[in-house]
Amino acid sequence: MLTMMGITFREGLNRKVLLISLILAVIFLGLYGTGVHYAAKSFNEHPNPILAAVVYPQLLSFGLYFGGFIVSFLAIFSAVGAISAEIETGIIQAVITKPIRRCDYVWGKFLGLGLFLALYAALFFIVIAMIINVKTGLVLDGQWRALGLFALQPVVLLAVTLFGSVVLPTIANGVVMFMLYAVAVIGGMVEQIGWLISNTGLQQAGIVTSLVMPVDSLYRKIVHLLMRPTDNPINALQQMGPFGSMAEPSVWMVVYALLYVVFFTGLAAYAFGRKDI
Amino acid sequence: MDMAIETFNLTKKYGAKVGCAEICLRVPRGQIFGFLGPNGAGKSTLVKMLVGLLFPTSGKAILLNRALGDTEVRKKIGFLPENFRYHDWLAGQQLLEFHASLYGLSGTAKKRRVSEVLDLVGLAGKEKQKVQTYSKGMRQRAGLACALLPDPDLLFLDEPTSALDPIGRKDVREILVTLKDLGKTIFLNSHLLSEVEMICDAVAFIRQGKIIRQGLLEDLRTSNIEVEMKVGGLTPALTAALSTLASSIEMEDDLVRIRVKQEADIPRLAALVVTGGGYLFEMHRKKSTLEEMFISTTGGGEEIC
Ligand SMILES: Nc1ncnc2c1ncn2[C@@H]1O[C@H](COP(=O)(O)OP(=O)(O)OP(=O)(O)O)[C@@H](O)[C@H]1O
Ligand SMILES: [Mg+2]
Repeated sequence: MLTMMGITFREGLNRKVLLISLILAVIFLGLYGTGVHYAAKSFNEHPNPILAAVVYPQLLSFGLYFGGFIVSFLAIFSAVGAISAEIETGIIQAVITKPIRRCDYVWGKFLGLGLFLALYAALFFIVIAMIINVKTGLVLDGQWRALGLFALQPVVLLAVTLFGSVVLPTIANGVVMFMLYAVAVIGGMVEQIGWLISNTGLQQAGIVTSLVMPVDSLYRKIVHLLMRPTDNPINALQQMGPFGSMAEPSVWMVVYALLYVVFFTGLAAYAFGRKDI
Repeated sequence: MDMAIETFNLTKKYGAKVGCAEICLRVPRGQIFGFLGPNGAGKSTLVKMLVGLLFPTSGKAILLNRALGDTEVRKKIGFLPENFRYHDWLAGQQLLEFHASLYGLSGTAKKRRVSEVLDLVGLAGKEKQKVQTYSKGMRQRAGLACALLPDPDLLFLDEPTSALDPIGRKDVREILVTLKDLGKTIFLNSHLLSEVEMICDAVAFIRQGKIIRQGLLEDLRTSNIEVEMKVGGLTPALTAALSTLASSIEMEDDLVRIRVKQEADIPRLAALVVTGGGYLFEMHRKKSTLEEMFISTTGGGEEIC
């Protein structure tokens, strides 16, 4: 298992998709940093504490939201063919005929890619948090827990994508996973709107989608962790809009996401254990 | 005798399509076993079942005294797949080290074994190069090196020389014979009959998923002997007498081509000609090649259901 994990991690580092994601990340963080810089500058020149208290957190959640996008993109692309592409090329044939169990192969892949993605996400989070902290002086609460959840996001996607990679060909898996991800994103937006206009139908639709794919609710949880709602009259304003989080997902949502990861990876290992190559 | 491979009615169906059906094979330890058959006959299907890529639809198999599916026993099994594709972003040496780790080797044992097999397959000096930049034959050599890493007791090779040049083929033959001398068992799928003929002890022919003939190469050879004779004064009575010994007989003027089932029939043929009043001008045994055997057993057009 450790051998598989090692090679998968190295493979992740070798892939073109990493390079593209890094370039995207640099462009994004560059633009983002510039934006935050000028926003902070204008507030410094014309102080307006109330407005700043609304805009800074919005900037932060905006950064994390799109950062999550890039990280998810990397997660899906690097896991979409993790197993199916090896079957399609035949690379797998000399590998799983070795004295390793098939489930170790799947868990090795999961751990290798998971570690790689979690590190990437953590780095991303740290850069965004630093930009905000240095430029705006906004103090972030609960940032370590938020960091953990941010790193969990791609791992959640990885688990389902890995399962898809066992049961579907690479291309089909890619299509399904992006659809699933889109469902989560749209579901999250719908839920926000639901809370805004107090429509329980929309709220429930959002909850259902976050059960199908809990990535978006992890994001909402992160936003809450970073911006403590306690005794903060303008909190409602901070959490408004598509990137905010009007209703905090409970801790059970996090537990659910963790179980989700274990369940899908386990299912992938199970399905792979009886698959003809 | 101690068997390296035993299969009992091993069957694989792809949906309704038969990959291979009711395969019963016994391969003793220390043999080179040739598994022969036309394209699509089911050779790779059988090997894939034995190495654990495919799960049999029914039947059983025992490898090195362990039931099929045992992972421990794979420490002593090497496998070279038909399409030999590898992680080609690794350098040759890294690739072999990765495969060695999968076999459970580590530390200096791993390093030593990797350089040994690199030498053995003739890739020494190329180990720093990425597999991507290898030629097809070099890749096949790398694949063979991977299969040899654990110093296997049982080696499955699915067309190991398909991409090699004549020298490479000879090298591989020599490697295989050396391994055999060390008591290893080799299961070889191949179309290259002249090669099989040179090194195999026993062969099996498969066609449309079924084994139609198997045995020691020597026995198969002597059970199908072609004799060509030049006979003067052939009479219908003499021809009839000759036919009783023959499994097939062909005549062209004074030239008679006869197939017999055993060597002892050769002098009998001569005696028949003489006692039947014929004049035997010439007689020689044609060496039966595996190719003829292959075509006569697997070809012939008739469907086997
Ligand atoms: N994945 C699959 N799905 C359906 N049928 C298959 C599959 N793999 C093989 N077959 C069929 O099983 C039969 C045996 O195939 P196999 O690959 O074992 O042949 P082979 O003897 O190795 O041929 P070759 O000499 O061309 O390598 C063929 O008729 C093939 O079409
Ligand atoms: Mg084949």
